[in-house]
Amino acid sequence: MNSFADRFSTTGTAVEQRRIKEYVADEEDVSDSMWGSEAGFGTIAHGTPNFMVPTVPDPSAFLRLHTDDHADPSCRIKIKHGTTTLAFRYQGGVIVAVDSRATAGSYVASGTVKKVIEINPYLLGTMAGGAADCQYWETYLGMQCRLHELRNRERISVAAASKYLSNLVYNYKGMGLSMGTMICGWDKTGPAIFYVDSDGTRLKGDLFSVGSGSTFAYGVLDQGYRWDLTDEEAQELGRRGIYAAGHRDAFSGNTINLYHVQQQGWKFIGNYDVSEMHYNGPTGTAGYGYGVRVEGRSSANPPA
Amino acid sequence: MDISFALTGKGYVLVAADTTAARSIIKMKSDEDKIKVLSPHLLMAFSGEPGDTVNFAEYVERNLRLYHIRHTYPLRPASAASWIRRSLAESLRSRSPYSVNLLLGGYDTATHTPELYWVDYLGTMTSVPFGAHGYGSYFALSLLDRYHDPEAGLEEGLAALRRCIDEVSKRLVVSPGKYKVKVVDKDGVREIEL
Amino acid sequence: MPDGSYERPQQRQFNPYSENGGTILAIAGADFSVIAGDTRQSEGYSIQTRYAPKVFRLTERAVLAVNGFAADGNMFVKKVKQRLEWYRHAHAKDMPLRAIARLIQTMLYAQRFFPYYVYNILGGIEEDGTGAVYSFDPVGSYEREACRAAGAAQSLVQPFLDNQIYFKNQTPAPGTNHPTHLPLPDVLSIVIDSFTSATERHIEVGDGLEIYVVLAKGRSTQELASIGGLQELSTRAEGDRMFVIRRDLKKD
Repeated sequence: MNSFADRFSTTGTAVEQRRIKEYVADEEDVSDSMWGSEAGFGTIAHGTPNFMVPTVPDPSAFLRLHTDDHADPSCRIKIKHGTTTLAFRYQGGVIVAVDSRATAGSYVASGTVKKVIEINPYLLGTMAGGAADCQYWETYLGMQCRLHELRNRERISVAAASKYLSNLVYNYKGMGLSMGTMICGWDKTGPAIFYVDSDGTRLKGDLFSVGSGSTFAYGVLDQGYRWDLTDEEAQELGRRGIYAAGHRDAFSGNTINLYHVQQQGWKFIGNYDVSEMHYNGPTGTAGYGYGVRVEGRSSANPPA
Repeated sequence: MDISFALTGKGYVLVAADTTAARSIIKMKSDEDKIKVLSPHLLMAFSGEPGDTVNFAEYVERNLRLYHIRHTYPLRPASAASWIRRSLAESLRSRSPYSVNLLLGGYDTATHTPELYWVDYLGTMTSVPFGAHGYGSYFALSLLDRYHDPEAGLEEGLAALRRCIDEVSKRLVVSPGKYKVKVVDKDGVREIEL
Repeated sequence: MPDGSYERPQQRQFNPYSENGGTILAIAGADFSVIAGDTRQSEGYSIQTRYAPKVFRLTERAVLAVNGFAADGNMFVKKVKQRLEWYRHAHAKDMPLRAIARLIQTMLYAQRFFPYYVYNILGGIEEDGTGAVYSFDPVGSYEREACRAAGAAQSLVQPFLDNQIYFKNQTPAPGTNHPTHLPLPDVLSIVIDSFTSATERHIEVGDGLEIYVVLAKGRSTQELASIGGLQELSTRAEGDRMFVIRRDLKKD
């Protein structure tokens, strides 16, 4: 009845539909979200990539129906979810520590995930939420950071890089992206950490933990944190934070990846098995585990 | 949401619970005692469905008192815990179950051992060196994995408890303001100001 | 409505996905890579066909296995092959394995809001001559690994692989170490055992088995000599060589 009005309206679902239809008609076999397309001659200088969207009234509801394993554990496409990550700033730079477990529902899809994304030698990004979202957009961020260097003959600041990412994901708000990331690095202002998530939140801070195990990591982290930690103490605190999450949160575990960011850029410190930390600790002499630590100690207090 | 913590130390159990009584978005009271003294050497922190909590706590209190009167001696902590757990389990299978979560701290005067039981409304019971209920558990358990010492003196135990409370105040969005802390040891039960 | 009845709003949902069973698996060796998949295609309890390949040769040194929704999988492989052909025309060489992996990521992620329901495993030989396996989730997150199982029986096969390839939960005899890479005959035995066992315990696995073997340049083919059902796919005898082994699996 209102088809005439619909056709010329500039608001409402009809327009949205039309826009999507035009979109799909324009869609070629190669969308520019696939870098290095056009037979490999590269399209990175183009604007924001575009994506294939289903022609349904509510594309994000469609996506949720098929991929949201929190709302519906029987949904078909189980997107891998990341789990516990932490980063903190201290006197000697930035410590970044993450676990390596990826779960699809209750299945441990991988125990060897790299949840620290090496954006460039001075920038690290962490992965929590959708693994693909973090991997793809942080790689994309790396490309944009490199272009910034080439255009301005100067490295991008952590603030600018994180702002770039937060603006980018904000464009996709409500479409179903899921990421909670910390952009960590060293720039002219010194060490810096920014928390960026897919809601569009961007926070500058000294200490963050993200993921399902974050509360457990915070419990250990907050209590052991001081600005004047030594490098060894700081690395130990990062390891213990992830260990605590791996121990108490079923969706976190397997191994710990530890990074240290200093003026010269980031350095990979090591990979530590959570079970190994539980029984033997990083040096093989003192396990982190409660049962290991208090072995032989008793609360009983018989009169002497 | 109620928050409670408990931990054992050398010859004592510390039990702490927040003192807020809330209804909807309103704080009705800010000095509510959610730790019941059940017998000379037994404490119980309770949390859960408003109404159920106090009613169940009083039911337990009266029955343990009755046992004490009938037999002239009280139930030992392990036996009391078993009886309380069974009451909850039977309640769960009744027409109107109690939804009450408990932390039972007691001192067994026969073996000179402090004992702590974590019990939930489903009747799950486990003996633990430390425990927590409510959102506080997400922060406190990892912290106590790190800092709890079964042989800690009372001051050290209180320091660990203070860490838990500070952590919850720091990180939990709806953190309660005040806590009541009670301790049970060989001398019985008493309240402690943090 | 004129007759006094009310018209009810109708709701329909768009479901363009199905699940076609089957399992795929890949294992990387020091200088070879093995990529395998069964050939049964089913929907629910019905077997649609006993021979629908899930493993595809992409280049002289790259093989892609796809599992999940067969229609999406076939379309995806078709598009990947097309992109690789364009690359060949532009650069007069095959795309290196790690570049194919990144290509697959971006092609999957381009469908982030309308995903392909496919789990991909890419196997082959890297430019440095080492065997490699890359595994992907449906929207493109990927990782290089030594072995990976995906599909219906992944939860049956992967723990077996963890134990036999990574030696998880095994303690080496005193004074010895676990090998970092297994020899080809051992890997082939593990692959065959994985599929015969998965066929026994999973209704969606069976009928046929296709095992692609990619050998790095200059590597001896001696170990394959005694294998039955072997067919060579390489076009040149120098360079990396590719073989396929076709075997039967139980058909009930």
